[in-house]
Parts: sequence; structure tokens; C-alpha cells
Amino acid sequence: MNEFVEAPAAPKETTRQEESLKHRLIGTSVPRTEDERLLRGDGRFTDDVQFAHQLEMAVGRCPFPHARILSIDVSRALELEGVKHVLTGEQVREQSAPLTVLRPVPGAPQLPYYALAQDKATYEGQPVVSVVAVSRALAEDAIELIEIEYEPLPHVSDAIAALEEGAPLLHPQSLASNLLASNGDRAGEPEARIEAADVVLRSRMRIGRVTPLPMETRGVVAVWRPGARELSIHTSTQVPHLVRKQLAESLRIGEECIRVSASDVGGGFGMKLGVYPEDVLASLHAMALRRPVKWIEDRMEHFRASTHGRESIHDYCLAADAEGRFVAMTNTYTTDIGGWNSPFGSSQLSSVIFTGPYRVADAAVERRVAMTNKTPVGAYRGYGQPEVNFALEVLVDRLARKLGKDPLALRELNMLRPEDLPWTVPSGAVYDSGDYLRTLRMAAEAVDYAAHRASPRVPRPDGRILGIGLSSFVERTGYASARFLANRGSKFGAHESVTLRANRSGTIDLYTGVSSIGQSSETAFAQICAEVLGVDFDAVRVHSGDTASSPLNTGAFASRTLIAAAGALREAALPFRDKTLRLGAWALGIAPEEAVIEGYEVRHRDDADKRVPLSDVFSRAILGQGIPHDETPGLETTAHFEPPSAAFSFGTAAAVVAVDPETGEFSVERFVMVHDCGVAVNPMIVEGQVRGALVQGLGAALGEELRYDAVTGQLLSGSMLDYAVPRAADVPPIELLHTEVPSPVTTFGVRGVGEVGTIPPGAAIANALCDALADYGVEFSALPITPESVWRALQAARESTQGAAA
Amino acid sequence: MKAADFLYHRAGSVAEAVTLLDEYAGEARLLAGGQSLMPMLNMRLWRLGALIDVNQVPGLDGIEAEGEGDLEETRIGALTRYVSLERSEVVASRLPLLAEMVRHIGDRQVRNRGTLGGSLVQGDPTAEMPLGCLVLGARVRVESGRGSREIAMGEFYDGSYAAALEFDEMVTEIRFPRHPSHFAFSELTRRHGDFCVLSVAVTGECDSDGCWHDLRIGLGGVSDMPVPAEAASARLSGTRLTDDDIREAAALTVEDIDPPSDMRATAEYRTHLVPVHVRRALQQLRARASATELLTRTRENR
Ligand SMILES: Cc1cc2nc3c(=O)[nH]c(=O)nc-3n(C[C@H](O)[C@H](O)[C@H](O)COP(=O)(O)OP(=O)(O)OC[C@H]3O[C@@H](n4cnc5c(N)ncnc54)[C@H](O)[C@@H]3O)c2cc1C
Repeated sequence: MNEFVEAPAAPKETTRQEESLKHRLIGTSVPRTEDERLLRGDGRFTDDVQFAHQLEMAVGRCPFPHARILSIDVSRALELEGVKHVLTGEQVREQSAPLTVLRPVPGAPQLPYYALAQDKATYEGQPVVSVVAVSRALAEDAIELIEIEYEPLPHVSDAIAALEEGAPLLHPQSLASNLLASNGDRAGEPEARIEAADVVLRSRMRIGRVTPLPMETRGVVAVWRPGARELSIHTSTQVPHLVRKQLAESLRIGEECIRVSASDVGGGFGMKLGVYPEDVLASLHAMALRRPVKWIEDRMEHFRASTHGRESIHDYCLAADAEGRFVAMTNTYTTDIGGWNSPFGSSQLSSVIFTGPYRVADAAVERRVAMTNKTPVGAYRGYGQPEVNFALEVLVDRLARKLGKDPLALRELNMLRPEDLPWTVPSGAVYDSGDYLRTLRMAAEAVDYAAHRASPRVPRPDGRILGIGLSSFVERTGYASARFLANRGSKFGAHESVTLRANRSGTIDLYTGVSSIGQSSETAFAQICAEVLGVDFDAVRVHSGDTASSPLNTGAFASRTLIAAAGALREAALPFRDKTLRLGAWALGIAPEEAVIEGYEVRHRDDADKRVPLSDVFSRAILGQGIPHDETPGLETTAHFEPPSAAFSFGTAAAVVAVDPETGEFSVERFVMVHDCGVAVNPMIVEGQVRGALVQGLGAALGEELRYDAVTGQLLSGSMLDYAVPRAADVPPIELLHTEVPSPVTTFGVRGVGEVGTIPPGAAIANALCDALADYGVEFSALPITPESVWRALQAARESTQGAAA
Repeated sequence: MKAADFLYHRAGSVAEAVTLLDEYAGEARLLAGGQSLMPMLNMRLWRLGALIDVNQVPGLDGIEAEGEGDLEETRIGALTRYVSLERSEVVASRLPLLAEMVRHIGDRQVRNRGTLGGSLVQGDPTAEMPLGCLVLGARVRVESGRGSREIAMGEFYDGSYAAALEFDEMVTEIRFPRHPSHFAFSELTRRHGDFCVLSVAVTGECDSDGCWHDLRIGLGGVSDMPVPAEAASARLSGTRLTDDDIREAAALTVEDIDPPSDMRATAEYRTHLVPVHVRRALQQLRARASATELLTRTRENR
């Protein structure tokens, strides 16, 4: 089920609506350009790139959560035939600089994160040695022959425990405690309002650690041509230009010597945002050997070597008056960043949207970034927003129960109305526009909320009880501006860029640094470009992800690509179109104002006989022949565009669950998602993005969990056998509904859509379970929620009622 | 995740395979479907001198029905793939419990390759086939250079992942006696086709007067091997499987288990679930039997 609902009529939107009616391609479900090559097996992922004389790299990793490295003996590995080169921490320190962080936590010191551990390792899986050999199997044999003497050190794997007095310190040289940094935002007088409130709810909410788990693991092929001084890197990344910058910093060579390309990327989800130790290692080996070196992360490595996501603990306080009007909100949260700062740093979005879609003027948030002996946590689809949504939306339902109110009515009472927007939240971010309430009502209607609410919670014939849970959200998509980012210490900008270049076949080459990570940017970019130019969709060919051919950009993350790129595409396409019209008109002997571009030709607006093919017009431009004297040869435009502000997507999800109160087993029988991403450039892509992210959100809500042993500090679920990622058969039925309120701050009114689905599932399911088990009085304060956690919640509820009865 | 070097042999006969096993004196393993063996080699959890591929050995993958009535016996070759069990009419009619259980294993790819013999020897305590074979009273035929022997499923394991085989022995065939008249199966998994949190298989006979006997209750995933719940079975013998009988019998099952705590569930939760799932499986057994009886009576009346 998929339904696009018209936006409510508001004066400034009418013109937008009218404009979108004129669109030929924007708003249509053009089939994805990427599909043909992917479905035919013609994709080019990192492991598909092969070079003559290529060698393979394997990495030896610390098996302990925290250990001093006493000695490393590589002699037996070097004796093995076929082994070409071995690197240890000492060589890495001589030959490279520590990895840099793209998004440092403000106020945090720079930690010396070298590609190989120096005197000690601070997480299980941290690279300690690397070997290059004629085959991967042989390189792995060599790793087994390297003798490393470790002295295991006391470790800490819980973020709260890590901040306590006396916890083992991870980086005593740089930090006096395990608190990497803390920072906060506030507005109004939340403490005073809490003091005076009628009801105050406080709760600690835990969000589990998960892994983004792209189908293509990380990988890199490094080729060094010393004579050319060219290091060519093929890698699976979302940000080729940023990897180039970071590699230049770590390898201490100029960016001009490095070319980074990513063709097909089998999923990124935020995890492939920047340089990793193995990228530096493969480069160092390739430079030492002057032979191509490939490293493909295997799935077992992936669980330990690629950044994890989410883990955080939120201490929330929600205060309301007797009617349920929210009067203040505070959230002090601890994010677990693991053993080192990841290339993309710790999530900040929890601080931006912690007040959700609600009208609360008095609010404060504080983020603490804690270091623990676990794999670093990096960006992951949603990046702080699913976490805070779970905490807040579960509390909203808890407040409703406490006040004896309907959770839907409580949300209605507190939700920001269209006329309240733009609305500034404590972090200074501005919700741009939207009709939040409408999505709430649509979700409720879709699941027949009112009828359910009126009926008792009795078991069905199969013994299961039905429950419905809601979760409303606002999602920040894109970045406010480079100025905003600068204040937060970011080492990247907020813009996107494209180059359009005419070719002699009469088609247009579009170059972008955005790599193709499954987000369908090739299709969407071509749609917008063809729309503005007036040419056929097929006349635009997108070339992505190669730093040698694309203009400098930011990259594919933060639901920001299209928000910024839509503007760049328009800005590049307009002068391109105008010059095409001038040259075409000249060829036809008509005035440029009389000329139009259509399909593959320029023709007279009213006289179909006066036409010239684009191949002719473009050839004239390229040759500089047959063009007006005052025109320069060439037809190529580049534009960089920074949106004036971030756009905020929004929506509401409703989950219908059926739970067995005897065992805690439950199933999600329906999941309705009402969502607004502004103007949908391609509704089919939007639907795919929302569904894909929902599956990841449902996975994290229902079973995905990276658990570390409390005693040994070892990862317990580091394989596909133990990590319960949902597969197609495990995904509950999803129903999508959309509204379409154009954003006033972006070109064409788009809002980001790549991450949103990860946000609401956890809270919607928790709330549905609480509703189903209302007669038992269960509460949930942690994700994931498994049948066992439902059973435990039931036990706890029984014990507390028994306790109360006694 | 690339296996270390090993030698590869392709055996042409059972005799050749067991001779090679003997020569490698414990350093070699048979390769059947490879669905457990290959991951272990690739993850370097195991380093072997040699693999002896038995996929080309003729005659190891048949399903044969023999005898009638009480003498009925079904023989399944060790190399028979899960997919063949799924599609076999013989298995559907003569071993319906096995036919139902096999569909819970892994995914299509795994069932296309994995074999009955491989699953039994692998001995995963949560696996479906060892539990099904236990409840159905199967016997495992084993060959070596020293001759052949048969091991009852109840004695096939020394512990988890530990089949009671000598290093030079190979499983060639699994023999099933006549299938009980009634059966039911229930399992809890985290995901479709995942290894189970726990599983319960029950079978039994019901007299025309409604009294039950020969009940067998098997439990998977709650000990280091599939276990029979003997006290519970005994409690039910001669009863009519009333709700009270079932509840009391189900409560006895916790005596037979020693559940692990792992990523899938804690021991505490498994301990809570076992009697519930046993109770529900027995209720299903009873319901199925009365449905069959009703069907027979309707036919007779016609
Ligand atoms: C993704 C995935 C999901 C799975 N899910 C399930 C599941 O839900 N339930 C389940 O039960 N299993 C599951 N499995 C395991 C699967 O059932 C294995 O196939 C089975 O355990 C082994 O059978 P095989 O033929 O593949 O044996 P192999 O992997 O080839 O061998 C396994 C072991 O048995 C030995 N062996 C094999 N044949 C013989 C023989 N004839 N005589 C003596 N020794 C022999 C081998 O030497 C080896 O030690 C899953 C596997 C995968 C990869």
C-alpha cells in the first residue's frame, strides 16, 4: 500500500504545488538506472577490482578488550613462502600520522589513533599487525605465525561504569578520565519548571549496540605508481573526497597524489564515512612493495573492525501539568564511543531533536561521550535520532498511563502545529515547516486506533493479546550550513557540487563525488538535471564517486545529498541550458527566446520543422565551430550549492503487535509508517529508502544486539550466527503512507529520506506491547525488545504487584 | 576467513573413505554437504590434514521403504540432502514428523546441500534432525575398516557436538522403525530458519477407547544434546491426556533439562518455556488425534 496524499493548502504552498504540477520528471517513479547493472551482475564492488601483480593483505587483531603489547615477533611469518611484507605498530608510527577525525567532538583532545596499535590496544579487534602475501589464505597463515605477547589489562565495557571513579583508563596520556568530552544545549528554565510541575517522570533508557551490517563489507585496493607519484585507491566508501583528504593527512603526502574512487558501494549506512586503519595499511604496503594491495574485510572482521552504532544511555526527565501539557524536558545522555574516536565521531543528533515534535520551550540536553573497551561507534543511519525517539516516545506513553490519558490525545495536545513553525529548539536548530498532527491522525486511522482503544485487552483464540503503539518524530535531514558545522568543529562542508559536460553524442555527462551506495542518487540526479534542461531522462549519464573527475563535494550521508545536490543540479543546469539554447538558436537562425530543448534536440517553440539535434549543437560547442563570435567554445558547467538551512522530515508510525502473556513471544502484525519528506523526486525510491531503513529499525528494535561478556569483555554476538539481523521472511508487513509538505528551505521543496525509517520502530513496538499488556502493567526501558525481555517485564510487573499487595 | 591448506580426497566408495579416515588417524574429516564443516574451516576454528569428499560415493543417498505394519522400516542414506527429505513421498507418508521438522532447518541453500548424516554427526544440540531421529527411535549404521555396527540415537552422543564415533567410522545409513500414529512439533526461533531457542517433538499412540500409550517427548536446545523427557512420558502413559495430565507431565520436564544461556536466551527463560511448549505440543497431539479419529469415524459411517 502506498499513497501520496496532497499537502494541506497553505498560501505559500500553493505556488509550490502548482510548480510541481508542471514537472515532467520530478515526482515520477522513473526506474532506477543502477538496477540494470546490479541485477545483471555487472556491478563493480571493491572486490571486483583486480590488478595484475596484485597482492592480498590480512590483519592481525588484538583478541583482548584491553591489552599491553609486550613484544611482536614476525620472523616466522616472514619465512613463509609467498609472504611479501609485514607491518607492525613501530613502522606505522614512523611512516604515517594518526587517523584524523572528520567530526571531532567539540572540546575533545586528538587521540593518537594509529593504523596499528602502539604500546597497547583498547578494543577487541584493533589492528596490531598486517601482512601482505600472494593470497589471502597465505596472509592469514602468516598472521597465525606471528607471535605477539600481550599483557591483558583491566577493561571496562559499560559506558556508565567507564565514567565512574576508579574505572580502568583507556587513554591516560590524553585524558584524565574516560569522558572524551561533554557538551550541552538549553533553553528557558527547565529546572524551575520541573520543580513546579504537577507530574514528573524520570527514567533511564538504554539503547543497545548494533552494527550497520552492509552487504558489502569494507574493502580497499591500493596502487602506488612511484614514477607518477600517484596513489590510486579503490574503496567502498560514502565519501571519496573526504577519504582522499584523510589519507593525505595520515600518509603525509599531498592530496594531488591521491585518487580515490568508489564505484558501486554495497551499502554504507554511515559506517563508511571516512578513513579506517586498513585504508592506511594497504597504502603503506602498496607504497613499500610497489605492487597493488587488496584488502577485503571478511564478515568476522566486520563485526569487530567496522564502527558500531547507537549504544547510549539516556536519563530523561519529562514534566507536565495535570492536563498532560509538557512543561519541561531534560535529557542527560551518555554515548558509548568505544576504544577510539571513530572517523566520524560521536552522534550529536540526539541533542538536536530530543524534544521531538512537541511544543516545549524549557528544555536542556547534555551529551557525555564515554570511552569503553569496545569497537568504536560511528555514524549509523539515523545517528542519534532513533535513540532519542525511543527514550522520549516511550516516556510519552508512560506519562499518558500515569495520567490516565489516551496516548494519542496526549500527543495531539502537545504537538507543534503548522502555525507554530518555524520553531527553534534548544540547540538552535529550526524546524522548517510541516503538519505533524496530520501524520499522527493518519497513522491512528490506518490502524483503527479508536475502535481498538475502546475494546478490552483480552486474548484472541490463539492466546495472544493485541496492542497498538504510536511513535511520532521529527528528523533533521541535511546540515544547517557550513557556519553551523564550523561551530561544531566539523572538517567538512555542507555543500554538494556537480559538473555537467556536453559530449558529441548529444548527451550530457554528469560528474559527482557522491558514490552510489544504494540511495539511487544516479537516478534522482539524472531526473533533476533532465527536468531543468528539458532533455530526455536517458540523455543524462551520471558518473559517480571518482575524485579525479568529480568536483569537490561533501558526500553521501546525513540524509543530505539531495538536499544540497538539488540546488547544485539546478544551478549547473540553468547556464548549461541557456548556452545550449543560444547555440541551438544560432544554428537554426532564430532568437534564443524562441528556442526550446526537447528530447535530444533544440527546436523552434512553434515551428516543429526548425530543429537541430543536440549532437550537432554540442559538437559545435566542443569544436568551437559554427557558434556566435561572442561565445567561448566548450559546454561545461560546475556548481556548488549550500542549502540555507536543514530541512526537517517528520511523521508517525503505528505498530500493531500480538503478544502471548505466558511466554512473552510476540509478533508485529502490522507496521504503518506515515512520513513526509517534502517533494518526492522519485516516489519509488522514497518508498525503497523508507522500507529499507524501517527494516534496520525493526531489526534493532526486535533482536539485533552486539553484546559483550560482562566478565571477559569479549564480543558475544560477533557472527551472522549470533547476531539476529532480520531476513526477508522476518520482516513484518509494512504499510507506507505519505504526506507531501514542501520544505521552504530547499530547492524543489525536498526533505531528506534516507534514514527516517530507523527512527520510530523501537518506541512504536514498546508502546504497543505496553498497550497489549496494559492489565499487567509492564514497562520497557531498553532496546532490543525480545520475547525474553517481554517475559522479564511481565515477571517484574507481577513481582511489583505482589510486593504492593503484601 | 580463508581456510588454511588441507589435502582433498574424493572417495569413490565407503571402503576407500574409511581407509583414508584410518590413515589420517583423526586428522581428516568427511565432507558431506559442507554446511557446518566449511564455515568452521573458513573461520579457522578447525585445522585439518585432509578432507575426504564422500559426495561421489554411489548408493549413499537413497530413501527406501521396507516391510509392512509392525515390521515396517524406512532406511535413509547418510548423504541424503534435506531437500530430498522435504520432497520425498516416502518420507511424507512414512516419516511425517521428519518431513515437518526438516522444513525448519536454515534456508533453501542450506537445505539444498546439508545432509541427514552430516547433521547427526555435527551434533548441534539445537538441530532438528537429531531430535527427530531420537523421538522416532532411529538407529544409525556406521562402517569402518573394522566392520559395521548400529548405534541407537539415544546413545549417539557423548556431549554437544560430540557424536559417539571413532575417528575411522563413517555413518552410512539411518534406519527408522514404524512411525508412531500421532505426532506434534513446536519450536521457538529468533528468526525464520534460525537455530532454535528450544524445540519439542512429541509422538504417541491412542487406543480406540481414548487411552494413550508409548508417548515420547523429545526436547532440543535445552541440554548438550537432544533429550527424552522420560518422567513426563511415563506420567502420561494410560491417561486420556486431560489438561491436568498434560500440565502435570509438562511440569516434570524441567528435571530432564540443563539449558544453556547464550545470545538466543538465558537458561532461566528456557526453563520457563520448556513446560509451556511441552504442554502446547501435547495439546496439539491430542487435538490432531481427535481430528484423525473424527475423520476415520466419518469415513466409516459413510
Ligand atoms: C546458514 C545456516 C543455517 C543453518 N540452520 C540450521 C538449522 O536451523 N537447523 C539445523 O539443524 N542446522 C542448521 N544448519 C547446519 C546444517 O544443518 C548443516 O548442514 C549440518 O549440520 C551438517 O550437514 P552437512 O551435510 O552439511 O555436513 P558437513 O558440514 O559436510 O559435515 C559436518 C560434520 O559431519 C561429518 N560428517 C558428515 N557426513 C558424515 C558421515 N556420513 N559420516 C561421518 N561423519 C560425517 C563431517 O566430517 C563434519 O565433521 C545451518 C547451516 C547454515 C550454514
